[in-house]
Amino acid sequence: MRWLIRRVLKKGKSSISYEDDTHFGEVLTIGRASDQAIFLPDLRAALNHASVTATGNGQYRVESLIVAGIRVNGEITYAITVGPGAIIELGSTRLTLLDARGDYDAAVEVSAIDKSEQAQMQSRRKKPTSLSQTWISKRWPSWLLFLLILAFGLLLPAATHVVPGLNNVLRHSPLPSTMFWNPGEVDSAHRYFAADCKRCHENAFLMVRDSACTTCHARTKAHADPAKFNIPALGDARCGTCHQDHNGERGMVSTDQRLCANCHADLKDRSKGASQLVDISDFGTAHPEFHVSLPGWNASDEFTPKSMPWSNALKENSGLKFNHLKHLKPDGLKTPDGLKILTCANCHQPDVSGAAMKPIAFETMCHDCHTLGFDTLAPEREVPHAKVEAVTYTLDEFYAKRALEGGYADARAPTIVQERRRPGSPPMSRQEQVEALAWARDRAREATRTLFTGKACVTCHTVNPPPAGENVWRVAPVRVSGIWYTKAHFTHAKHQTQACVDCHEGAQKSEASNDLLIPGIENCRECHGGAHAREQVATTCIACHAYHRSTQLTLDQGQ
Amino acid sequence: MHDSILTHAKSRYLWISLGLCVISIALYIWHDPGIAPNGGTWLGYTLGTVAALLIVWLLLFGIRKRSYSTTMGSTLGWLSAHVYLGTALILIALLHCGFQFGWNLHTLTLVLMLIVIFSGFFGVYTYLRYPTLMTRNRESATRDAMLDEIAEIDQNALSLADGIAPEIHAVVLRSIENTRLGGGVWTQLRARDGSDIAIARIKVAIEKRETQIGAPPPSMQAGQTILAMVDFLAGRADDKQSEALRKLIDILSRKRALATRVARDIQYQAIMEIWLYIHVPLSIGLLAALIGHIISVFFYW
Repeated sequence: MRWLIRRVLKKGKSSISYEDDTHFGEVLTIGRASDQAIFLPDLRAALNHASVTATGNGQYRVESLIVAGIRVNGEITYAITVGPGAIIELGSTRLTLLDARGDYDAAVEVSAIDKSEQAQMQSRRKKPTSLSQTWISKRWPSWLLFLLILAFGLLLPAATHVVPGLNNVLRHSPLPSTMFWNPGEVDSAHRYFAADCKRCHENAFLMVRDSACTTCHARTKAHADPAKFNIPALGDARCGTCHQDHNGERGMVSTDQRLCANCHADLKDRSKGASQLVDISDFGTAHPEFHVSLPGWNASDEFTPKSMPWSNALKENSGLKFNHLKHLKPDGLKTPDGLKILTCANCHQPDVSGAAMKPIAFETMCHDCHTLGFDTLAPEREVPHAKVEAVTYTLDEFYAKRALEGGYADARAPTIVQERRRPGSPPMSRQEQVEALAWARDRAREATRTLFTGKACVTCHTVNPPPAGENVWRVAPVRVSGIWYTKAHFTHAKHQTQACVDCHEGAQKSEASNDLLIPGIENCRECHGGAHAREQVATTCIACHAYHRSTQLTLDQGQ
Repeated sequence: MHDSILTHAKSRYLWISLGLCVISIALYIWHDPGIAPNGGTWLGYTLGTVAALLIVWLLLFGIRKRSYSTTMGSTLGWLSAHVYLGTALILIALLHCGFQFGWNLHTLTLVLMLIVIFSGFFGVYTYLRYPTLMTRNRESATRDAMLDEIAEIDQNALSLADGIAPEIHAVVLRSIENTRLGGGVWTQLRARDGSDIAIARIKVAIEKRETQIGAPPPSMQAGQTILAMVDFLAGRADDKQSEALRKLIDILSRKRALATRVARDIQYQAIMEIWLYIHVPLSIGLLAALIGHIISVFFYW
């Protein structure tokens, strides 16, 4: 086998000449030893550094003979099969394997690598020594992050505002929807449309309009008529002023007392007298005495309660006579069923809501002791309660029947009434009938008078005889229990852990029914303070008062 | 006293930032919005505006440090302010959001901001610690000087090895081929160099051979430069060769020491820079999130 070894000789800057040499043998040896086919006087070459074998099919096998390996086509290798054109670099020498040509079976070109090229190659082979030379970068990750966050964090959710249906698609995909903007859970009542931002946020970059609220909350009452009270701030208040959503479990009713107190200052002046409400800013320190709604009736007995500032000396007129002291005897009362100790709850029972007390009911509360019997000969018979006219009928009918049937064992009654009539007895004569019924009428009247004035009604009620020409007795109207503070919503239910006397302390000693046993503000202040109370329950306006309390206006008509 | 980023101008920006924090905390405590504190109250908007302006100003540092012809204070002063005001930003942003978090863009903005700031803390740590370590490691040489010396040692080692035996020359040659300083990100950061251990082992092996002549040669482990030499030494070296070999090992040790120092130099520099590859891209991401946060909040006001 014949090898062509062509040496490239550089002369001057650009002139090049070749020196051809022939080598006989399969293997071309490369190294620093003098017996090598290609002798390289370079310390970077080993004595027998590498060998190139022409494999015959135009390919060459390059093998390293030492552990350091050999650089072929820029890579260190130990053995590799390459085609013509492959470059072997060893120190300052470059060997280029060529196509077989002419008479030769293999060819190689040997050229020197000059200093500047060597340096260049070395620097090319150098590994990065600072981070800026490595693949990591600050620029493209910055751009990528910026664009990704802007696209997915802002543009995509914003697009749902203009592209109908897009939000639904996004919500069912891993992509961010407008929920990615959601600053917090919406109130539980709003949760069924929470994903539909536009239900409330109708217009981009505009605050939520009240109309968005009143679409559903159509019957919510306004606070007061801004026109009537001449207070523009009242009309300017948005629903959102007090109700902010996206607060999750905290709900969306603001309990801040300033929302009320800011307006309820100088109301008389600011409304130019339209409002007579006194200034209130804090329950603990700046709240007037309660106004209690006292029962009262006008001339035609219609219930017309009267609002009065609470005071210790205030007397109420319930229309009833009642002595708490007598009824609450600690050692009990003698009743037909034996000794019975009464407590408040025997008569005062909360209504279904737990807020107020049920009205006092004679039948269930008083009747056990206070029976309405009228005749000792018929002790089981009673007149009905609370039906004044029926009392007269009942007695008239009772005694008429007794008179006509006879057998009424009262010595004061006529004989015909006392006599028991048996089956087969002759009927009463006309005269006897007149006599018996006259007795019956008198007896009924007597019993009526006794009931109304002597032993029954008058015990609890104020009773007046019938006016001339009438026979219906006059019983004064009664109002026991009810709403004493009409502008606040006190509830007994929340206070049921307290004893009744904690608030109604006079009840146990009260002997007169006109004692006002309803507590005033000082009683509440024992436990409740204003918003900034430190030692009491911090209580703001809406603990007792409602905002939406206009009787005429709804929200969409005014505030 | 040495003027560091923390003590610049008598820590002026520390006091400014502390003042900012104290004012923010005082307002936060004093402010009673009636509802849970959040970004939508007047204080929330105020703190949010302050925080947003701070973020934009902090981002401007990236521009400021590149403009060399500015009259607006020294870069050191800017960096000092950048560090202190950036730290104050954590508190201001947390007070702005009223400690409300969720799986949303707003909290993403906060998280990005916190990562940027805490990566910055790492940067401050490296700027305070590593320049000293770097100077000490270089022993008043430059990296280029060390690299030049390594190249020189390589040449000397080859001539020495050539005088000993072709096998030794080959292993030295391979060791030179395999000497690679620097590398990928991880390699630069770790600067791991096992050569110290190898050299220690060769020295022990030589001493052992001198005391226990005739001991069996250690088993050859292909691919280990130093062990190849030990093997040679243990086997058939004469005194002259042993002497040359010891000299070779000495200069190779010197080379390894140098290489270790260069690797450490590269490591220090990499550590001082690596945090910026988080700090900078995330701060730009933060800018996008901030824009999104502000626009989205007013989009659905």
